[in-house]
Amino acid sequence: MLVYALTAGVLFGLFYSLVGLGLNLVFGVLRMVNLAHGQFVMLGGFAAYLAYVRLGWHPLVTMVVAAALFLGIGYLLYPLFAPRLAASTDPEMISLVFFFGVAEMIQALAVIGFGNNQRSIYAPVFGAAPVRLLGERFPAAWVVSGGVSLLALLAVYLYLYRSRLGYATRAVMASREEALVSGLSVGRISALAFGIGLALAAAGGVLSPFLLGGVNPGVGVGLTMTAFAVVVLGSLGNPLGTVLGGLIYGVSLMLMQSYLSEWTNLLPYLLLLVVLLVRPSGLLGRGVRHA
Amino acid sequence: MRMRRLIGWRMAAGAALLGMGALVAGCGTSAAPTAKAPTQITVGTLYAGSGAFATSSLPEYQGLQFWAQQVNAKGGAFVKAYNKRIKVKIVAYNDQSSATTATTLYTQLITQNKVNLLVADFGSVLTSVAVPIAREHKTVLFDITGTGASFFTPNNKYIVLTSLPTSGVWPESLAGFLLHKGIKRVAILYLTNDFDQSQATTLASRLKAGGVTPVYDHGVPTSTSSYNVLIHAMAQSKPDAVIELGYPNNDIAFLQALASSGQHFNMVFTVFPGQLLSLLQKNVGAKGLAYTYTYPTPPLLAYNKVNYGLSLSQFTKAFQAQTHTGVNFLTIAGYNAGLVIQKTLDTAKSLRQSDLRQAVAGFSGKIFTLDGRFRINSEGAQVGETLPVGQLVPTTKGLQMVVVYPAKVKTGSSVYPAP
Repeated sequence: MLVYALTAGVLFGLFYSLVGLGLNLVFGVLRMVNLAHGQFVMLGGFAAYLAYVRLGWHPLVTMVVAAALFLGIGYLLYPLFAPRLAASTDPEMISLVFFFGVAEMIQALAVIGFGNNQRSIYAPVFGAAPVRLLGERFPAAWVVSGGVSLLALLAVYLYLYRSRLGYATRAVMASREEALVSGLSVGRISALAFGIGLALAAAGGVLSPFLLGGVNPGVGVGLTMTAFAVVVLGSLGNPLGTVLGGLIYGVSLMLMQSYLSEWTNLLPYLLLLVVLLVRPSGLLGRGVRHA
Repeated sequence: MRMRRLIGWRMAAGAALLGMGALVAGCGTSAAPTAKAPTQITVGTLYAGSGAFATSSLPEYQGLQFWAQQVNAKGGAFVKAYNKRIKVKIVAYNDQSSATTATTLYTQLITQNKVNLLVADFGSVLTSVAVPIAREHKTVLFDITGTGASFFTPNNKYIVLTSLPTSGVWPESLAGFLLHKGIKRVAILYLTNDFDQSQATTLASRLKAGGVTPVYDHGVPTSTSSYNVLIHAMAQSKPDAVIELGYPNNDIAFLQALASSGQHFNMVFTVFPGQLLSLLQKNVGAKGLAYTYTYPTPPLLAYNKVNYGLSLSQFTKAFQAQTHTGVNFLTIAGYNAGLVIQKTLDTAKSLRQSDLRQAVAGFSGKIFTLDGRFRINSEGAQVGETLPVGQLVPTTKGLQMVVVYPAKVKTGSSVYPAP
């Protein structure tokens, strides 16, 4: 049972890393917590469901299309709201309220558009037979989701650490003012980061029906909370920390479900509190952030 | 002279007293007919327009609305207290599946809207907050599906459960079936809320009384959506029967996880396929539900003896014609609550809450609706209905519900172990 819980935890952890990474990237570059992140994940879930049921698209195809679409939407939306929020007296607080409103609006529209019912995709779309890993049998959808999440995380890593745009993005994350002085196009980089954040949310969302048993308009709030816990666990503003945070969260969740199932709900908040008290900067943080 | 005056005074006083008595008596007899009847009877309720309970709450609310439309089409509900028909108006607010929001809104219905009758939202979670509020304001709570056993206590007269037995009673037949089948290894997975936990407690205790100790008996939070690890943990205990007690979204996630896990159990039981079959089938597929067990409820279970309101076939036809949506148990439960309210108005001597409650006690056990016999005990808990055990058997026409236990209502034999 321990091996099963640990392996399942890693697979789930990769998924939560993917979901959390988008939130962290947006925070790192924009210094804004996107409280509507879970709702974008939820939209990705509905995209997977509708594309599969109405168009017969395989979820992996939907994932590529949805990620590209959300990347474009995020890139185009950024100039419409970010400069106004940044110009306010308290951008961080105003952006919290702004994204809270966006979250509520998306959820309300989703209820109108998709209804309240849970929607799920017939799981054997990734293969009818369970996959053997370390001697244990896991649903094929989990293994595929874990693998795809890993690839997406790798892609973000390569973008951030092996590309010129990625270097520029990290420069903005380190100091927006210095990046501006250096002549970097901070607005364009930020818009791209916001787009990538939404693309990652959509990609995670497409996988969510397979890992979370389905999607409904109400799942966004919980997903934002979990993503936030994962991000803080690793370190706010540090993408690699999010991967570590996601893995710790996933493994802890599965261990709790296996051995102390009644207490599972407590986990994200417990981890959050422990990290905030013991290491406020997160596990991979270098110091307390002064935003 | 003095004596005559005294007699005169006494006669005058006596006449005055007689006159006052007559006046008082006259007031007593003439007050009811002259008391002004309200222009409408207000029924206050909440519904979950979004969130975890919307799936169940909205059809229930739709059923109640349908009842009001039916009654108003006939000129209103007959109100005995005023000896006339009065139109019914439903005052409803959206609690968005939040018990906190519901708390404020229930209070608002009683204190601001001053509704004549109060109806709870779906399920135990959203009803739990209404119970103390209704009791505090001495207002009868018509509880449609909030079956948490803790709501019904000897010192709370202000609650009436209209559609289902208290959840603690639900698994009686299930426990009987497991013992009757001689199934020794039973795994129970339940949500840690009033509704599911009370079922799990009863089931475990009945099984233990029958000499069977569950090999797995664990609770999980109501928000649980990932079940594979839990299924794996249950499989380690090698159960013959797996009983999952959840809400609709949990049942969907559980059955999905089971289908993809590669695990097979001889018997699998979930709660909501018996109430929301089309929703479950849409998400899990007929294959995922094949040979699983559930509690069948109308329309999967037909009660033919109906002496109040529409029969099942009449309701189905009228409801679909009016709303263009399908019928499930929760629409029936909403309509059934309306019927109980209708009968209450029909028999209560006034609209005072104590008289309303007394009226319900008066017709308890005497009406048979499309939802079965309506009978409550002294605590307001429904005891007229029982929940049998049914199995979903695949046929060429799709899934068919076969009632397998108890013997007096069974329509076929169970397929055990499941293929």
